[in-house]
Amino acid sequence: MSATLAETLDAVVGAEPGGAATLADLVTEPVDPGILDEHAKREVRRAILTAVCVPGYQVPFGSREMPVARGWGSGGLQITLAIVGVDDVVKVIDQGDDEGVNAVNLRRLVINTTGAVETTEVDEATVIQTRHRIPEDPLSPDQTLVLQVPVPEPLRGVERNMATLAQMHAEADYARMWVSLYEDKVRNGVITKSTGYPCLVGGRYVIATTPIPRWDIPRLHQAPFLSLFGAGRERKIYAIPPDTDVEPLTFDDVPFEVERTPGASCSLCRASEAYLVEIPPSSFGAADGRWICSDTAWCRRRRSEDNLS
Amino acid sequence: MTVYDTARDTAGDTSSDTRLEDATIAYSKAPSAGQPVLRVERLGKIFGDQNLAAVAHTGPNAGTEKSPDGNSVVAAWDVSFNVAAGEAFGVIGESGSGKSTVMRAIAGDHSSTAGSVWMQRRDGSTVDLLTMTASERRALRVDELSVVYQDAAEGLDLGVTAGGNVADRLTAAGWRNFGQIRERAAELLGRTEVPLERMDDLVRTFSGGMRQRVQLARALANRPPIVLLDEPTTGLDASVAAGVLDLIRSLLEELGIAAVVVSHDFAVIEMLTTRCMVMQHGRVVEQGLTDQLFEDPQAPYTQRLVAAARA
Amino acid sequence: MGYAAARGGLEAIAAAEDLVRDARDLADSPWLGLDQLIDRQRLAVDRVMGEGGLWDPRLAARALQQAEGDTIEASHLLRSYRATMPRFAYSHAVDMDDARVLRRIVPAFRNPPGPQLLGRTTDYTGRLLDRTDDTVARERAEQRASELVVLDSGELGTDQLDTDQLDTDELDTDELEQRTAVVTSGAVSALGSLGNRRHRRLLDVLRDMDLMVDRRRSDDPDPVDITRSATRPPAPRSAVLATMARAETGALVNLWYRNILGPDGYIHEVTLGEVRHAEVPVTVTHPHTGGPIDIGVVRVTEVEAIEDLDGADEERTRFDVGYGLCFGHNEKKAIAMANLDIACHRDRSETGDGAGACELEQSILMTTDGLDASGFLEHLKLPHYVTFRSMIDRKMAMRAAGASDPGKRGTDAPVSVDPREGDCA
Repeated sequence: MSATLAETLDAVVGAEPGGAATLADLVTEPVDPGILDEHAKREVRRAILTAVCVPGYQVPFGSREMPVARGWGSGGLQITLAIVGVDDVVKVIDQGDDEGVNAVNLRRLVINTTGAVETTEVDEATVIQTRHRIPEDPLSPDQTLVLQVPVPEPLRGVERNMATLAQMHAEADYARMWVSLYEDKVRNGVITKSTGYPCLVGGRYVIATTPIPRWDIPRLHQAPFLSLFGAGRERKIYAIPPDTDVEPLTFDDVPFEVERTPGASCSLCRASEAYLVEIPPSSFGAADGRWICSDTAWCRRRRSEDNLS
Repeated sequence: MTVYDTARDTAGDTSSDTRLEDATIAYSKAPSAGQPVLRVERLGKIFGDQNLAAVAHTGPNAGTEKSPDGNSVVAAWDVSFNVAAGEAFGVIGESGSGKSTVMRAIAGDHSSTAGSVWMQRRDGSTVDLLTMTASERRALRVDELSVVYQDAAEGLDLGVTAGGNVADRLTAAGWRNFGQIRERAAELLGRTEVPLERMDDLVRTFSGGMRQRVQLARALANRPPIVLLDEPTTGLDASVAAGVLDLIRSLLEELGIAAVVVSHDFAVIEMLTTRCMVMQHGRVVEQGLTDQLFEDPQAPYTQRLVAAARA
Repeated sequence: MGYAAARGGLEAIAAAEDLVRDARDLADSPWLGLDQLIDRQRLAVDRVMGEGGLWDPRLAARALQQAEGDTIEASHLLRSYRATMPRFAYSHAVDMDDARVLRRIVPAFRNPPGPQLLGRTTDYTGRLLDRTDDTVARERAEQRASELVVLDSGELGTDQLDTDQLDTDELDTDELEQRTAVVTSGAVSALGSLGNRRHRRLLDVLRDMDLMVDRRRSDDPDPVDITRSATRPPAPRSAVLATMARAETGALVNLWYRNILGPDGYIHEVTLGEVRHAEVPVTVTHPHTGGPIDIGVVRVTEVEAIEDLDGADEERTRFDVGYGLCFGHNEKKAIAMANLDIACHRDRSETGDGAGACELEQSILMTTDGLDASGFLEHLKLPHYVTFRSMIDRKMAMRAAGASDPGKRGTDAPVSVDPREGDCA
């Protein structure tokens, strides 16, 4: 049976028998017991800097394996871990909800390993990690939005070959994307892309806006806050710096439409100008189908303000 | 009319062109008026081992394009010709003659071994295509140089509608109004005699002749000054081919586009072009006015070809 | 079932974790010891190390224990553990000829250079469910072991074979027959090895016979570290090999199978040149002395696959070779890896120019990682009600558009809505 590294090192370093000498003892800095080592965090920050300098460009990075599975937010998590410190206040939402189990899991991983403080209130947060939504409240220039990205490649539906995809982005050759929008409109009468609508960033790169609803897209245009996009499985990071143009791809005479159901409003706070999700009727034909806000914290605050007024 | 002895240098165009110091892209300062829109100078392409020594052992005198050691194919060598604005120039030859190689070299579908391809751009400047990067050449294909391929699958996306294939070129040129794109696509497809009710059908469901018409519509979408046509009707049914040929002829006349037409078929060259050249084993053997060349061929090879065609 | 996806926050998660732990920790049967896993489920432990990309049998056993036998889950535990540790050094290149060979077969030749050792394998054992009582089995094994000592006194050592006697080059035909029979009969102790003697590879013989294409480079570039860079096709060979070394076993086996028999595959005539299970030392440069020091020994499976070249543009008078290497004893993975290595090389050569990468390379680089594939698949269990609501909105919009446009005809042409255009998956 081969000796373990520890046993071999004990022999080499000459540590006391039973003591646990590691190669790390030879290094003077203390080893971070967290879930992502400091070198990795530095690598992620460098990728973020590149991404901010080239808005919308997908920067490849050495994505590490996280305690959450690939596809479950490992990219967003790495970004958040790389940028938060003890002075940060972190909010994590999934579908707009702080209490979704995946949001809770990610939040506690961040809090427990970085010393940052958690919150559900947008105005207290410095970093907001999110899956599939942008909070309804306007964000300020002091806040960073970290979005979890399942598939970072907006051209995936029109081209399979990865070398060709890289060339298309490099040459700003988005003709195939436009053709697919044309075909979509011809075939269906409307452009049917639902969430993750492709947008042109800074007039140069087309990005996949993760599956955020169309409702949230206009809030990216000339936003005062920084948006960082992390795709852990696909090993890409991209960014929209503050005050950047973000235009959904559409024809001049085909207005960009957001999700809207006439007459719908939140049955808890009565809001109609927010992204609402449906609670279907309890049975077929029953009249009790309802809508509620997807942003639970926003909805809750509206209700408490209502009670106070 | 000029006849070429392949052992001698070709009688090239001796008009002066000033080469710029800029080594990256070669632009000419010569004025555009009276200049040909396309000027091919001593174009050459060798496949396989890039062995220049193979040139001497290939060509019509050697009876082959392949080098003696079999590792190189001198598909085209020392090819020169001009195309004036609005003129249709033909390239005729049997298979292996190098005619398609020449076309693809100009189109940028593959790299070239030697020579220059001077193209006059819309803004009047002239550029040697062979000094451009692949991405620059791709950009040219949007609205300055179009290609119609023998196999429509090469020039079209079969999984996209007829209108969509035309819209592809329009959006690439910056068109962003859906209504206008649709209108222009319908207009072009109408002009190329594609039934309007088929505009939203996938090209995959079209017959060969219909696919060529869609290819033409797409190639002309952005009114390019130059179009290359490679065996545009080969493989089509005779009656269908006749219709497509007729269409091409009227389009070229009406739009005043310069064209290079490549074909092994004399009828095609005769119908569409005013000047042409004959290629054999990668070299040009004769060049001149189409009518004169067919009526009174000088080179023995051309005489044989013409005789066979007339028979 | 509507949009009421899993909520309830911290309490719910904590409860779920307690449930898993309790079911695992309070089960009636005794907890599996790490030694038990390493001794009794060694192939699972090896597989986890291979897919986790981390050599440490005890940690891998621990991970398997925690993951309740799910090898992909266990390899995830290893990998995320690895992500917490800083990288201090790269090892020197390992010379596989320095390996202590535990098993070696050479299917390409009847009497290859150097010894073959069937070693510990179930390749030729009947796949019959053995329901012998454990105690009885142990008694029989002990009996066999004692008999072996008696038999061996004449010619073979008990725990270390005398490799000189197994070198077939010097034997005459009769002895050759006998040696081969004895060696491959498996009568040799399962713990035997071929020692540390450098055995000549089949590849070396074929090179001497000028039957091999020589793809070795004089510049010997550093291998790509796929854990530090996001590799995309077209990629260097080292990146493809490294990806396969950590890939999920089933993914590689099936990708190979599909490449042979699938709709877009083609036949490869592969003969295995070497299949080895061996231990090999790992050496780094000592941070203080600057000299080389062995920091441990890892056990690997190594395969060389000889491929017959028959393509129009290939050197048809020669063979080429594919290489496979992975942690632990995992022959199917290493064989699949070697086959895919050479298939990928040939695939790439055929597409010429190199402008676009070949499809097989893209499949290997992008679809064979166990964590990526299963994680992405299982993420579908996450709430998707925001996206779903948006899709319903589009369907309503489509209907509204259709209703207001009487001229719009339904197309009878095949509607090729690209299923890959889904937003989330």
